[in-house]
Amino acid sequence: MASPVLQLEGVSAGYDGATVIRDVELTVDPGEIVALLGANGAGKTTTLRVASRILRPISGTVRFEGEDVGRLAPHLLAQRGVAHVPEGRGVFFGLTVAEHFRLGYRGERLDLDHALSYFPALEALRDRRAGLLSGGEQQMLALARALARRPRLLLVDELSLGLAPVIVERLLPTVRRVAEETGAGVVLVEQHVQLALEIAHRGYVMSHGELVVERPVEELRRDRGLLIASYLGEGSAEPALQGVPGTGGRGG
Amino acid sequence: MEQVLAFALLGLGPGALYSGIALGVVLNYRGCGVINVAMGAIAALGAYVAYGLRTGGYLFLPPLPLVPAHVNFGGPVGVVPALVIAVLVCALTGLLLDVLVLRALRNASPLAKLMATLGLMLSIQAIILLRFGSSGQSAPDVLPNGPGDVVHLLGVTIPSDEFELAGIVAVAAFALVAIYRWTRFGLATRAASENETTAVLVGLPPARLSAMNTVLAASLAGALGVLVAPLTQLDSTTIPLAVVPALGAALLARFTSFGIAMVAGLGLGVIESLVTYLQSRPWFPTTHGAQLPGVADLLFFAIIVAAMYWRGGALPYRGSLVERRLPAVPKPVRLQRPAIVCAVLCITAFLLFTYDFRQAAINSLIGMLVCLSLVVITGFVGQISLLQVALGGVAAFAVSKLSMSAGIGFPLGPIFGVVIASLVGVAAAASALRVRGVNLAVVTLAGAVALQSFVFDNPTWGGGFTGSPVNPPHLFGVDLSTQASFPTGGGQLPSPVFGLVCTVAVIMAGLLVASVRRGRLGQQMLAVRSNESAAAAAGISVRNVKLLAFGLASALAGVAGSLYAYNFGSVTADRFGVVNALVFVSFAYVGGITSVTGAVLAGLGVTEGVFGHILEKWVGVPASYQLYVAGLLLMATLITLPEGIAGGRRPPPPIRAISRLIVGPGRARRTSAAVGATQGGATS
Repeated sequence: MASPVLQLEGVSAGYDGATVIRDVELTVDPGEIVALLGANGAGKTTTLRVASRILRPISGTVRFEGEDVGRLAPHLLAQRGVAHVPEGRGVFFGLTVAEHFRLGYRGERLDLDHALSYFPALEALRDRRAGLLSGGEQQMLALARALARRPRLLLVDELSLGLAPVIVERLLPTVRRVAEETGAGVVLVEQHVQLALEIAHRGYVMSHGELVVERPVEELRRDRGLLIASYLGEGSAEPALQGVPGTGGRGG
Repeated sequence: MEQVLAFALLGLGPGALYSGIALGVVLNYRGCGVINVAMGAIAALGAYVAYGLRTGGYLFLPPLPLVPAHVNFGGPVGVVPALVIAVLVCALTGLLLDVLVLRALRNASPLAKLMATLGLMLSIQAIILLRFGSSGQSAPDVLPNGPGDVVHLLGVTIPSDEFELAGIVAVAAFALVAIYRWTRFGLATRAASENETTAVLVGLPPARLSAMNTVLAASLAGALGVLVAPLTQLDSTTIPLAVVPALGAALLARFTSFGIAMVAGLGLGVIESLVTYLQSRPWFPTTHGAQLPGVADLLFFAIIVAAMYWRGGALPYRGSLVERRLPAVPKPVRLQRPAIVCAVLCITAFLLFTYDFRQAAINSLIGMLVCLSLVVITGFVGQISLLQVALGGVAAFAVSKLSMSAGIGFPLGPIFGVVIASLVGVAAAASALRVRGVNLAVVTLAGAVALQSFVFDNPTWGGGFTGSPVNPPHLFGVDLSTQASFPTGGGQLPSPVFGLVCTVAVIMAGLLVASVRRGRLGQQMLAVRSNESAAAAAGISVRNVKLLAFGLASALAGVAGSLYAYNFGSVTADRFGVVNALVFVSFAYVGGITSVTGAVLAGLGVTEGVFGHILEKWVGVPASYQLYVAGLLLMATLITLPEGIAGGRRPPPPIRAISRLIVGPGRARRTSAAVGATQGGATS
């Protein structure tokens, strides 16, 4: 088996000296989709930011395809094949859809046809500015822009944020198709737990800055209590299940 | 009618300079989010490099240890190589600015970046003064300008270079539009200027993009400087200060549109020329038979204010972040002890100092007042006003006029002066309520220029060229002036008495500002600073808080201005000019724009102040080098302490040690106690 695309080894990171995530161990294999779940403020976004190196880890090692990239400038890591679609639409509002695909670093060639094969709807929006697109179209564009780079690691942060469920249900399976067809590793941060568990291979659950659970998705789907417990913190699973039956709604 | 047309067309040349600088400013803003006030100075640098090469065959170098003053080329250099070398020098300047200064300030507030470019502007001006003197030169022609090089149009004859220059900036603007629309570099810059993090995530190198844009902007400004220099005066202020109308043009273009910046720059040049024509008409008002000075500057200001009001609320996205990224505002723990300690220090100083140090100390104390005014308006409310020094000038001239023509002396004169300054300040604020952040800096800069040239330079209202005298202050028969007799001080000017007057004023002002910070108004100001919408939602009248802050800040500036008037016995316009305004803001920022301590440090550092005097007298830095050193120090301080010396959360150890001495020990413990006390007070 090929070496993992992404390995986080004992990574701690944070902002302004305050640690947000501690000793995170996470691996992603080629073609594998990993769902990163957890309550708000658990450290999911911070984990992704460390993985794409826009945040420098305080300690620990970040490996991309086996190589330590902890000191690499983030734009150089991106040029090596890491595509990070950040929370809240990774598009440039002032640029048209077509311009998004002409944009690039020196020597980069974007595979527009490849992207359009996943999102044919963008074809009709070519000359519209991204700021004028609907939320779903913007996410589509962000994802398409990432795919056009033919990344080997795709980091997707809260694709479903602010989108209608029906659009999320269309977008997320595309991620699965991408992983299967291109062999890219994917980390999916998602609040829409049920959908994420349907398309992912493995799931990690974060709580208070630490990875608390790592299971194949089948187990997570089966064992609801485990998931809820890790969302609400250890030991509170039983009362939570009894007292707040609706809490499961987040997961299903 | 022909004359109107002729004058309008004659404005194209200077307009092209404004255009070119405005294009550079817009380019620099889009490339790395900095409002570069040094763009005019860079144009002047280009002009002087070309001048040196063509007239003397040498390239002048900045004063540095082990570096010769000139590199000789052995004879005058031709037009084209001179232009090329000048542009290269400007490009190199831009590169150094970007790599050494702006890169370090990438995450600093836009104000810090603006101040850093101000440091560059001061340095370039100082280099020009050191290498070429203050008398001014006339640059040899670059574009053909013989008797045959004219254009006949609708019955008027205009030198052809006016059209050529306008054509050059038009081509430059269209080229920039094309680059930004169609090239990979332009697209990448647009993307990076919108969202740098996302740009990095798609693999764009923001540092290189920023450097390329800064270099391009500096080259453009430098080229225009070389081309336009023959049409204007070559000295250390004319072309550098052309950045003021250029900033106005850039503001009209929202720091985004090259086309609007270009047209607006040319338009301002044409308007200026038309004002010259109107002033030659017999019906146009005059003052003492002479032309009214500064009408064009007043018109520029009016146009900028009107345009900003009309577009109201449209802000460049980068500048709009200014309030959030200003340094933290420490809450003063105690008032009594620092006030008493400072009073004792000042009194001792005035009793013991020799006359030269007394003068330096007085200058510093007055500087502290100006900086306190900036602490209120910029530090507490986040509004960048470059008008405060000019408001001091308003008070100073009011004191002078009231004393000379109405016989109103101390203390009524200064009180009226302060009231007038506050009214002008509030009026300026009212016209600027829809402008914030760095945009406000540009509007108030234009306002400061208008006040200086329209009011202060006017021989009737202001000082004209000679200055306006002031009667010395007396209170209940006691002489408080700089000539007052006093047992110590050796009878030399200034008298310690006046120093004590300044001490009283500064300590009262410091106490006032510190208690504002501790009180309810201070909380409201900070709320407005951090988020106007949230403050309004919390029931704070953003408008009232801003107006109050402007009023208070203007009053402080007015006190400073009145003391200035008494300090020198005569009021001159250049003391309250725009360059001094910029210098004060930069000292205030370096000292720490958010605290009384910062204002005190800044005051010690101001030109002709205590630090400057020590530098000159004991370290041996000649006064002519001080501007140069100040510019370099300003940039160096901003790089190492982007929040100012006293502005950061952790001031450097010597400052902490001194402030512990003055404020007293146990600061941290006291702070939490004080917070608890005010919270208790708020709920009860």
